[in-house]
Amino acid sequence: MNNAKRLWIGLTVLLAVSFGVLLWTGGEIHRKAPPMPETVVTEDGTVVFTRADIEQGRQVWQSIGGQQLGSIWGHGGYVAPDWTADWLHREAVATLDAWAREGYAVDDFASLLPEEQAYLSRRLQDRIRLNTYDADTGTITIDADRAAAMAEVAGHYDRLFGADAELGDLREAYAMKNDTVPDAAHRASLAAFYWWSAWAAVTERPGKEITYTNNWPAESLVGNEPPASAYLWTVFSVLFLIAGIALLGWHHARSGEEERPDKLPESDPLAMTVVTPSMRATAKYFWIVIALFLVQILLGAMTAHYQVEGQELYGFAISDILPYSLTRTWHTQLAVLWIATAWLGTGLYIAPAISGHEPKFQRLGVNLLWVCLLVIVVGAFAGQWLAVMQKLGLEHNFWFGHQGWEYVDLGRFWQWFLFIGLGLWLTLVGRALWPALRRRNESRPIVVLLFLSTVAIGLFYGAGLMWGEHTHLSMVEYWRWWVVHLWVEGFFEVFATAVIAFLFTRLGLLKVSTATVAVLFATIVFMAGGVLGTLHHLYFAGTPTAVLALGASFSALEVVPLAYIGFEAWHTYKLGHATPWMARYRWPILFFTAVAFWNLVGAGLFGFLINPPLPLYFMQGLNLTPLHGHTALFGVYGMLGVGLMLFCLRGMKPAAEWSEPVLRTCFWSLNIGLAGMALMTLLPIGVLQLIAAIKHGYWYARSAEFMQQPLIDLLVWMRVPGDVIFSVGAMALAWFVARLWIAPRKPAPVGAAGQETARS
Amino acid sequence: MIEFYPQIKMLHVTTVVASGSLFLLRGLTLQAGEWGRWAMAAPVRYLSYSIDTVLLTAAFMLLTILPTAVYANGWLATKLVLLVVYVGLGTFALKRGRTKRVRLACFVAALATYATMFAIARTHDPLGPVRLLLA
Ligand code: HEM
Ligand SMILES: [Fe+2]
Repeated sequence: MNNAKRLWIGLTVLLAVSFGVLLWTGGEIHRKAPPMPETVVTEDGTVVFTRADIEQGRQVWQSIGGQQLGSIWGHGGYVAPDWTADWLHREAVATLDAWAREGYAVDDFASLLPEEQAYLSRRLQDRIRLNTYDADTGTITIDADRAAAMAEVAGHYDRLFGADAELGDLREAYAMKNDTVPDAAHRASLAAFYWWSAWAAVTERPGKEITYTNNWPAESLVGNEPPASAYLWTVFSVLFLIAGIALLGWHHARSGEEERPDKLPESDPLAMTVVTPSMRATAKYFWIVIALFLVQILLGAMTAHYQVEGQELYGFAISDILPYSLTRTWHTQLAVLWIATAWLGTGLYIAPAISGHEPKFQRLGVNLLWVCLLVIVVGAFAGQWLAVMQKLGLEHNFWFGHQGWEYVDLGRFWQWFLFIGLGLWLTLVGRALWPALRRRNESRPIVVLLFLSTVAIGLFYGAGLMWGEHTHLSMVEYWRWWVVHLWVEGFFEVFATAVIAFLFTRLGLLKVSTATVAVLFATIVFMAGGVLGTLHHLYFAGTPTAVLALGASFSALEVVPLAYIGFEAWHTYKLGHATPWMARYRWPILFFTAVAFWNLVGAGLFGFLINPPLPLYFMQGLNLTPLHGHTALFGVYGMLGVGLMLFCLRGMKPAAEWSEPVLRTCFWSLNIGLAGMALMTLLPIGVLQLIAAIKHGYWYARSAEFMQQPLIDLLVWMRVPGDVIFSVGAMALAWFVARLWIAPRKPAPVGAAGQETARS
Repeated sequence: MIEFYPQIKMLHVTTVVASGSLFLLRGLTLQAGEWGRWAMAAPVRYLSYSIDTVLLTAAFMLLTILPTAVYANGWLATKLVLLVVYVGLGTFALKRGRTKRVRLACFVAALATYATMFAIARTHDPLGPVRLLLA
């Protein structure tokens, strides 16, 4: 059996086992999820909330943007508070204040002596952590004190989500518009949902001493502190990481130097590629990429500005027409959309180039898909606007409005449409590739591998269709991370590795057999940690301890290949200088090198920073999360998208002379700008928040009190230079692409001495 | 952010001085001929960009935290116009000027513009330099 075959078998077995375990865990999460009560009653039988209240509350929450405005169980936006932690803290303080007034005749809990506080806090813990859910009747029973405290907090939420003038400052601090939920009945049910999320966070599982959310969030008043398992699996995960690094290091040492092709091509083999009509038609994909990218940056700037001025943009009441919740939704969604569009365009461009075959009606298909993508973006965004402005009503929100699940916020209708669009894309790529997939020559395995990774990307979006309108929150989170995590930490990584290796084989710089084995091996390494690593997003999402153990152990392995990415980067860079004509690809290659750099820094370092259970217990939803999110998502896949786009444009306009200064500005501005935003704002605020969360509880690190401090304000401003530099880079890219079509520079020779960009 | 006014202002002034000094040094070495390459070396250029970025950032921060009344007499607008002039003269002094004479003239003019801006900023008055001379 040859090496490649063994690897194929290994990969198949690995995927079967990993997905088996992942599905089993899904079953466990389903069985052990915090129950949805039919009724919540007081001891004297008064009904406080019903299941219908909680369910409608969740719909209301989704319609205002759900995870895009504040967070639940730590997942979501960062400016408004985490509603779970906020509710829990407010309810605890309301109860303690009442007891202090009754029992000690003082104004509030804070005025008590420390030992009195300890006594009351202990009393609160004993009551509030007690699980009074009765599975047979579906009721949760609460005492009168708790009911009174809940009514008080519900009143606060009623005023906050309405237009109460007294809470205007708080709304500003949270970047919420006035009348976020204009309907009072909806506000009441929203409170029921927030309460339920806090109930799950503080109620101990039957027969256990940890709550449904593994004691998340940290809150000393109610005895929420990191569970023992968090310490344990944090230590083990670091151990696994070191072991993994050692193992892979040993493997690299053993496998030695790779074989290079005997003879490098004299001139660029791809310069001779015939650009077919369908390939030429992909140009507009790249124009749209640029447009979406620029809009995304603009929306990002607005979202960041909301952190300073909660409702206005230099005196203009922006939150009345484009509230924070929307700018953030569109900002995050466009990130995925433009990156995906760049890849879709790349796939459509290279498929006929590989096979040398232009199927019938291919161009029509390419154009049709492009129109579909536009319709999806415009339609879905319009629905989200109507939803957040509360003009759509709850009935159609799930299908056409805002689902409120971060990164998969599209209404269900648009999700289906996108899924079908991805299917269309796979069909188009597949039929153009077909001759190459069937040809039994040596380049077949790598074509197959590349095609499989794109099929997986398309198919796995389907996991986003697995939940319904009323599916349990824990299960929605489970499926949501199937999409988001398995994409970015699984199939995208594989696609990135495969596509770059593949391009090098097409350029004749890598032997196909070597490249195939390397990519297969990398796929196995990525998938070994990546599939079960999904669970690292679910430590505190109402899941059992097994999730924490599996998630921590396997996600640590994801960092193993990233620790060696320097090899990859050096390899890429070296191939970029293998022949004189490779200078034509200098900029795509540099972007691929940047992909490796940010894979190490953004995904590896900043990802692992928040990854073990103990750190994430405090860090999730703090600015350390977007620190990782920005540097990984843009740093890796954004850079890859730009690199691939440049590669395709090189082929599409083989004779064009590329402006060195424009591309240099673009490349360095994007990289320096990204680093600036990360290091000047997100990292320092994140660290300050972390200290606050450890010292005073999670709610405090997310509170208006903390976030409105002058120092935080200053740090938010510090991102301006980085953001400006970044925008300059994006505009340089736009300028570069525009100039390829509008008044292009005069052509330059292509042959062996194609020196046009070799000025370095 | 007004709490950090003294620090931001100090940063602004420090970078103003650093930026001006670096320009002075680069201009002088360029005029000195033999050492001229040093003035346009990549690390020096990037140092200059970095200083100016910090300088401008601090300036924008001051602009947003101070009450607008502070700018009523137009000193800031004047300074900004002069900034454009300064930058223009600066590029001619270091790079675009074709002959040595042009470069020298632009260099001297740029330094004079810089001094004027400095005086305007200190006095918060568009006619600040005149006043300083008369005083
Ligand atoms: C290039 C690969 C990666 C990309 C594009 C990526 C992207 C993201 C994004 C967009 C988020 C959500 C951030 C938010 O809610 O604002 C996230 C969360 C997270 N990522 Fe990654 N990631 C990558 C790799 C990794 C790796 C290698 C690790 C660690 C092993 C990791 C650990 C995490 C964790 C623990 C969270 C959850 C934070 C939370 O629960 O709030 N990621 N990632
Ligand atoms: Fe993940």
